[in-house]
Amino acid sequence: MKVRVNTFANLRDYAPAGKSSFELALADGASVADLISALRIPAAVQAVMLVNGRRAGAATQLNSGDEVTLFPPMEGG
Amino acid sequence: MYGWCGKALRVDLSLGKITSEPLDPNVARDYIGGRGFGIYYLSKEVDPTCDPLGPKNKIIMAAGPLTGTAAPTGARYVVTTKSPLTGAITCSNSGGNFPAALKQSGHDALIIEGASTRPVYLWIDGGRAELRPAEHLWGMTTHAADDALRKETHEKAKTAVIGPAGEKQVLFAAIMNDRDRAAGRAGVGAVMGAKKLKAVVVRGEGEVALADPAAFKAANAKYRDAFKAKTKDNPPPLRTHGTAITVVGTQSHGVFPTRNFQQGTFEGWESIYGETLTKKYLVRAKPCFSCPIACGRVTRIPDGPFKGEGEGPEYETVYSLGSDCGVDDLAALTKANYVCNELGIDTISMGSAIACAMELFEKGLLKESETGMPVRWGDGHALVALTRMTGMREGFGNILAEGSLRLATRYGRPELAMVAKGLDFAGYDPRGEQGMGLAYATSPIGGSHMRGDPAYFELLGVPVPADPHTWEDKPPLVAKWQDLFCVIDAAGLCVFFSVRYLVEQNLMVKPVGITELLNGATGAGYTPEEVEKIGERIFNAERMFLLSAGFTRKDDSLPPRITEEPMPTGPAKGMVCKLEEMLSPYYRLRGWSAEGVPSETKLGELGLLQRLKA
Repeated sequence: MKVRVNTFANLRDYAPAGKSSFELALADGASVADLISALRIPAAVQAVMLVNGRRAGAATQLNSGDEVTLFPPMEGG
Repeated sequence: MYGWCGKALRVDLSLGKITSEPLDPNVARDYIGGRGFGIYYLSKEVDPTCDPLGPKNKIIMAAGPLTGTAAPTGARYVVTTKSPLTGAITCSNSGGNFPAALKQSGHDALIIEGASTRPVYLWIDGGRAELRPAEHLWGMTTHAADDALRKETHEKAKTAVIGPAGEKQVLFAAIMNDRDRAAGRAGVGAVMGAKKLKAVVVRGEGEVALADPAAFKAANAKYRDAFKAKTKDNPPPLRTHGTAITVVGTQSHGVFPTRNFQQGTFEGWESIYGETLTKKYLVRAKPCFSCPIACGRVTRIPDGPFKGEGEGPEYETVYSLGSDCGVDDLAALTKANYVCNELGIDTISMGSAIACAMELFEKGLLKESETGMPVRWGDGHALVALTRMTGMREGFGNILAEGSLRLATRYGRPELAMVAKGLDFAGYDPRGEQGMGLAYATSPIGGSHMRGDPAYFELLGVPVPADPHTWEDKPPLVAKWQDLFCVIDAAGLCVFFSVRYLVEQNLMVKPVGITELLNGATGAGYTPEEVEKIGERIFNAERMFLLSAGFTRKDDSLPPRITEEPMPTGPAKGMVCKLEEMLSPYYRLRGWSAEGVPSETKLGELGLLQRLKA
């Protein structure tokens, strides 16, 4: 299945070709944790994870066509 | 005293008299400083029903025990007064270098009262203070006044000044310190203008004496090391891209206010967010005093119609002068930000008033014959022109200068002002962020995000995430965070560092690190629980001032757009803010009546009963 991934700030360092937004192919039934590991994001790097604009966790199951957003925790505005 | 200087300066502008007063050690202990001192003096000395622009109103400028020390982000001061925009209390907060200088001059607080008949400025040089004529400065921009004042006082002096907007009593005029930092909200600059006080200029080079230097140093090192360790793998987005990176969080959640809160997603967001700012206009990051983060932005627009240089924009400005006005031209909104800084205007209320005007114009309720130009969504040229006209109270700007609520009311549609208690919202749509709705509605100053900011846990994952769409869990969290923010604002710290490092990293945010630093500085021997209680005391004292000024439960409200019109687009599509459902449980757990009045039991528990009855 394919999902769309949006990455921001330092998390873009883990995007293929450094593009903020890209499509990623994952095995059916993959979770957010599988996506994080496919992008080789180290455990020490923190990310806020959203799936279709809702808060997700590492165990959240992904479906084909989902939009995943990853950004670092921020101190605010 | 340690941590505290033990001294307040009372400045009577009517008599031209300055007196030094000792700080009551019990008041210091019970209110900590900053925002706490603000409400202490305001509720003791100012009639809540007074005319905010009259001589009976006072301005309290207060630092905290950690201001001007080596504590991380010990850079803040708070300006407390009765707001001319809202009639409520306001307590605007700013960083930079002026607050540290104020403290290092040997003062915890300035109590500014009365009104001068001629323009003056206050010059504090260490232990000496005098009022000086300021006719020659009246009319100057904030930058020109800063240049002139440092030239005629001392090159190392720090300034807090008003620009033409404050002089002309624009109801949301700011007090600008260190040129581009703002005590911005709810018209503190207009109160200063009404008193004909152009500036406060301070040279302070003393050291703040600490009660237990070794313990203070150890606590300071511990939290600075924690920051270093965490940021090794996680470069702070606020340093790299400034607060405008926050657009990522709000846009992704569908709460990025767009076209006067008609939508929560903005199609042009990538043109105006932090990473674009970094690429196109960032010159350098700029920290406040003693800050390891450095979120401030020195920027330059090299060419084009909006050519200029200055500081900003921050996230709130990107929302207010950007998405909320449908403007996706980063140069235009940055230029409007520069104009706000130079004329001394709060960018949030400025953008919100223009957004409201744009909606009235697009609906045909406001005509070009009145505005003097088309005021259409997305028009960056109109944005900059209207900002300048507002600061100078010229043409239609004279109407905008009264703020969005008076504007919308004038054209028969008060519900189109996106305000709580008359103060414009920050850049978070409460339909997709339920806790923020409750925070806006119950903030003592009105629609502010900085009186207990639920965006941290609802959107930004700090210290840990909570679901932004649920409302049932929000009343206790909002109350807890409101009290915490009172503590941060009283201590003289910045929220940005505090919420990541100086509180327990769970939703209950016990102020452990803040307590350690306070104890090292003051020797007060606080427990975290006592410090939390002080936060609650400050919040309730502010509530009592508000109620005495005539506010009631019906003012703890949000416009129907937020509570009745479902969000049309994005991840929060279909949602409204469940304010009424949250309000009663919130009152109950605060120990307030169904009308939102703190009970005698609660006031007694907080030590407020006797004083408020007296």
